[in-house]
Amino acid sequence: MKYIAKRIKIHFLLAITAMMFILSSCNKDLEQFATPVVTAPAGPALGETIATIADDSLYYRMIVRAGMLSAINNKANTFTMFVPNNAAMRQFVAFASGGAIPVGTPDAIVSGFIANVLPVANAAGIVNYNMMAQSIKTASIPNTFPNFFYPTNLNPTAGTPGFNPLVRLLTFPSTRNGNWVNNIPLLATNLMAANGVIHTAAAMPAPPTKVLAQRIFADPDMTYLAAAIQRADSGVAPTTSASLVWVLSNFGPNITVFAPSNAAFQNLVFGLVYQQVFAATGNAALATATANGAVAAGPAFLNTNNVSTQLVKGIVVYHILGNRAFTNNFPTTATSYPTLLNSAIPTHPGVSLTCTFTGPFISAATVKGAANPTASNIAINPTPEPNGTSDQFFVNGVIHKINQVLLPQ
Amino acid sequence: MRKVTSYLVAFLLANIITIGAFAQNVTINGNVRNSITREGSGAVSVLEKGIDNGTFTDDKGNFRLTVKKLPVTLLISSVGYELQEVTVSNAANRVQVEFKPASSLGQEVVVAASRVPQKILESPVSIERISAANIRNSPVASYYDAVTSLKGVDVTTSSLTFKTPTTRGFNGSGNTRFNQLVDGMDNQAPGLNFSVASIIGLSELDVDNMELLSGASSALYGAGGMNGTLLISSKNPFKYQGLSVLIKEGIMHTGSTSQRPASPYHNWTMRWGKKVSEKFAFKINAELLQAKDWQGRDYRNYARAATGGNVKAGTRASDPNYDGINVYGDETTADIRSAVLNTIGATAAPFLKNFIDTLNSGAPINVSRTGYNENEVTNPNTVNFKLGASLHYKVTKHTEATFAAYWGTGNTVYTGSERYSLKDFKMGQYKLELNNRYWNLRAYTTQENAGESYNTTVATRLFNESWKPSAVAGGWYQQYSLAYLGARLTGATDADAHTLARSQADVGRPVAGSAQFTQAYDSIRKKPIKTGGALLLDKSDLYTLEGNYNMSHLTGKWVDLLIGGSYRQYVLNSEGTLFADSLGPIKISEYGAYMQLSRKIMDRLHLTVSGRYDKNENFKGRITPRATALIKIKENNNFRISYQTAYRFPSNQQQFINLGIGSNVFLIGGNPGFREFYNFAGKPTYDFDALRAGSVVAFNPQNLKPESLSSFEAGFKGLMLQGKLLVDVYGYFGTYKDFLGRKVTVQQSGAAIALSDTLNGRRLSIPVNSTDKVKTYGFGLSLDYRLPLNFTIGANVASDILTDVPTNFVAYFNAPKYKANVNLGNSGFGPGKRLGFNVAYRYQGAFLFQGDFATGNLPVVQTLDAQVSLKLPKANKSIIKLGATNLLNQYYYNAIGNAQVGGLYYVSFGYNIY
Repeated sequence: MKYIAKRIKIHFLLAITAMMFILSSCNKDLEQFATPVVTAPAGPALGETIATIADDSLYYRMIVRAGMLSAINNKANTFTMFVPNNAAMRQFVAFASGGAIPVGTPDAIVSGFIANVLPVANAAGIVNYNMMAQSIKTASIPNTFPNFFYPTNLNPTAGTPGFNPLVRLLTFPSTRNGNWVNNIPLLATNLMAANGVIHTAAAMPAPPTKVLAQRIFADPDMTYLAAAIQRADSGVAPTTSASLVWVLSNFGPNITVFAPSNAAFQNLVFGLVYQQVFAATGNAALATATANGAVAAGPAFLNTNNVSTQLVKGIVVYHILGNRAFTNNFPTTATSYPTLLNSAIPTHPGVSLTCTFTGPFISAATVKGAANPTASNIAINPTPEPNGTSDQFFVNGVIHKINQVLLPQ
Repeated sequence: MRKVTSYLVAFLLANIITIGAFAQNVTINGNVRNSITREGSGAVSVLEKGIDNGTFTDDKGNFRLTVKKLPVTLLISSVGYELQEVTVSNAANRVQVEFKPASSLGQEVVVAASRVPQKILESPVSIERISAANIRNSPVASYYDAVTSLKGVDVTTSSLTFKTPTTRGFNGSGNTRFNQLVDGMDNQAPGLNFSVASIIGLSELDVDNMELLSGASSALYGAGGMNGTLLISSKNPFKYQGLSVLIKEGIMHTGSTSQRPASPYHNWTMRWGKKVSEKFAFKINAELLQAKDWQGRDYRNYARAATGGNVKAGTRASDPNYDGINVYGDETTADIRSAVLNTIGATAAPFLKNFIDTLNSGAPINVSRTGYNENEVTNPNTVNFKLGASLHYKVTKHTEATFAAYWGTGNTVYTGSERYSLKDFKMGQYKLELNNRYWNLRAYTTQENAGESYNTTVATRLFNESWKPSAVAGGWYQQYSLAYLGARLTGATDADAHTLARSQADVGRPVAGSAQFTQAYDSIRKKPIKTGGALLLDKSDLYTLEGNYNMSHLTGKWVDLLIGGSYRQYVLNSEGTLFADSLGPIKISEYGAYMQLSRKIMDRLHLTVSGRYDKNENFKGRITPRATALIKIKENNNFRISYQTAYRFPSNQQQFINLGIGSNVFLIGGNPGFREFYNFAGKPTYDFDALRAGSVVAFNPQNLKPESLSSFEAGFKGLMLQGKLLVDVYGYFGTYKDFLGRKVTVQQSGAAIALSDTLNGRRLSIPVNSTDKVKTYGFGLSLDYRLPLNFTIGANVASDILTDVPTNFVAYFNAPKYKANVNLGNSGFGPGKRLGFNVAYRYQGAFLFQGDFATGNLPVVQTLDAQVSLKLPKANKSIIKLGATNLLNQYYYNAIGNAQVGGLYYVSFGYNIY
């Protein structure tokens, strides 16, 4: 009996010891949080998606020619791509071949040109220009004036000694008055691929290669404007950003220039001189003769003491918007927007813009100065230089040619 | 030399010496030995019956006692042995006493509960005692850890040598609500206001006993001690003599989940006590501990808020703004959008503006710098060296003069608002004490020197600035931002762009442990905070004079009366690195007086009333009363009730700290002088958390008040089942008032306060009294049962609960709802009763740990400690012990952000262990 009691006690002690072991052998670790597992997105990548679209087959050729296929098929990288459809590509090829392959040529030949003749650098420039980092659907593109500017994949300094990886040419998507990239309508939007989104463009959004100054100082119908700009810059070092010539000649700025034709300037000069002489003499014939003389002096008149630098500068900056507005970004009902003059006179009403659509295309656009009795018309012709007069696209801005000089007051 | 010293002491004390003349003429020689092991029993009391004349046996069990005449009856007694009476009629024969070990429960005598010796069963408040015998049979590696197994004790482990025990909640690495007295000296570090564990103090061989008072104890021990008081007493060399040596050699960091390669644990202790004559004795102690420390390696991501904060998902790889808990340097964070990218978009590259605006959906892009793990920035060696010596001189038969010096130095890691590496920390305590059977007078000083202690977070953040500055042009953030932007521009995903950017910005980052790293890091941690480094210069001191007088021998007919008083002065001296003392040390004086009246009524009821008045020069005086009643139900069965209040003055840090912790955040004290210094009048402060939530709430600074606690307690302690079962149970209820916490405020950086000031404004963390009352209640129950053959089993469970906590109030309660201990042991069994063992299991419930450094949920912790020991035959009380703490090597944390503790296995050899 005693023996049993003792055994029980020993068992009891052993049981307690065993329990202590068991209990303390199961300590839990501190609470842990799951780290989200990042997996490559499913489905075909951008290049694989474009390959399946029949109407994009020519642009697909261009991607291949540019050597960009693997880059856009890399699912680690996300892009938005503007893809011109085949009709747009045919027009592009007609232009790029100098008319040698006009629209209507069989696609096999168009395709052959892209695959063999089109310089690789050009193809790469175009494809890179029509790519934006990130997946941007139209829902995230604002419809505010003037547009949404965004860096493309095209770095104009690539290969130069001053290479800077952050420098990018811009593209200007907008959902104002429809869906656009620059002044080109988007035919289809938001086609999703695993690593991005595709928007189909009605024409080729070509990367700009020139700066505004190259047009203004070369166009024979803008000699008055060129002279006015130079007068406005007198006394300002041409290497500083205060210089209008610098602004028009450099990469950084992003502006809109309303370029009055020479005739517009001559009308202004004639009117100003006539009024001045007639007011002083009351002699209409003398006033007419003097005014004709001033017009005959040509753009040099703007460099004379008949007008002050301040006046000329005031008028020039009144023709410049501090952002890039394509005509399709204009409001359909006249609305005022500030110009560069507002940096000197913040309360100035600016210029009043309006545009008219016929179908999907701009048929008319106007800009009105505060002191002009009527609005001046933009000569609608968006074709490339030298003939184009509206939505002329440059690295640092856009030019619209107009038929009146805008008067701020 | 010894003679010179004793002469010197004699000379110093000459003025108060009144040597009694004794007519001693018969000297008895004798020996006391263990009846079973036949070994001499040291430190046994040998007392002449009926007369106040006695001595102790030496380490061989020998004694010499001179008596007036023969025959005499000697009373031979020692805890753990049966009391024996021996009649000596012939002094020529050597007296041989066979001393029989006895096991009895509840027979210990405690002093702490009422400042007068009383049986533990008759203590009117909850008290626990650990004797040298308990320590000897305990499995813990350091005697200090034995406290952990007591009921109601919570412990916070900051590192191997930095453990902070407390009772009744509110634990943390630095516990300012728990007092620790070593031989009567408050052993808080004066600059820190809390005890630095057992870094200084007694060596294991010198510990006579530890008494733990749980709950409020201000009425007897002054400010602090709201949650409890631990009193550690050393062995008097008159009683404990001879050379003792204890060598522990162990191994840590074993197993597959270990933090580092297995490393040795060395702990060597030596004590030499010598009674030179009946009047003079001395002792010398030394202890050296060296090991590789436990590491904090909680690398979880932490959302750092000014107060509070929480653990969240994310790793260094997945979260650009990752801030690991035990990763330092990554506290430096910036929104690269506002810091760099917006400027690029605004001026340098306007064509990127819209792109930049769309990054991260326009939200801030917060990025933290790459940090270093704790093991890379703290010294892995933990060293602790303690030295102690004391001289004891019996001025008269009943007056003993003591000069004692305790000095310690070491490396350890402690967690405050950050993790602090206490390196070459030194602290000395020196005391002069006169102990009479009726009165006691004690003067002591604590001299602290923080050595090369530094703030790991600050040091590592500064280190990051030293190899690549964060903010400057071309600095880390600019490099990061440009690389990130560039990667995003090529279509890279956000995560890939961050990864690439980090790898580019981290080019040149010194590898931890490389010569470049060590050199740069050392130069920062050795440079004082004031001059842009991370070094804490703290040479604060504490001076105390205190005394008490037990007048019961005069008043005992009516009432037992005890009176006492104390004066202490803190001298804060951090040379402007920690406190606002750049103009010179800050002195703070406190004084107090107390009185205790007690009376037994008809042997059934023992009533005690005590009260204490304390005054700190910076605060109004406080009276703290205590009333206790002990009701004897029957012999050895007592019911106790008590009401007591406790309070603490705002700690020195809460009054005077002035510490910039980076990012324009300052910890400041509550002293009104700070309001002028930080120009509160010109730049008002606002509630930081409110501002972050979007509303502007002015902060109105108030003068600090002491925090106080009033507590009711009832308990029962009794021996049952013929003395085999000891039961102790208590329940308490307490209310905290004027709770001291911190509030983060912010000053405007610009013309008016703005939301951005939560980032840019100067943020000041200011101590405040909470107007909310919080309540605590809890209970504890312990059962100790004596089984046959000297086996013992004990179990205890305790619970502490905090209620009525207002929303958003961070109380730092830090106590599990339940904790329990079970232990099973035998201090002597088998052949010659030479074998011993002990198995201890501890359970700590899960709870939310709140700390300034980190807050998070702690899971249940269960640990098992065990030891087996063998007393060697024929060797003078030599013991070989094989022990393990956390036997199953189950790594655990008992505070978020602190070291993770694994198994420690050791073997020890002790010689002449009492």
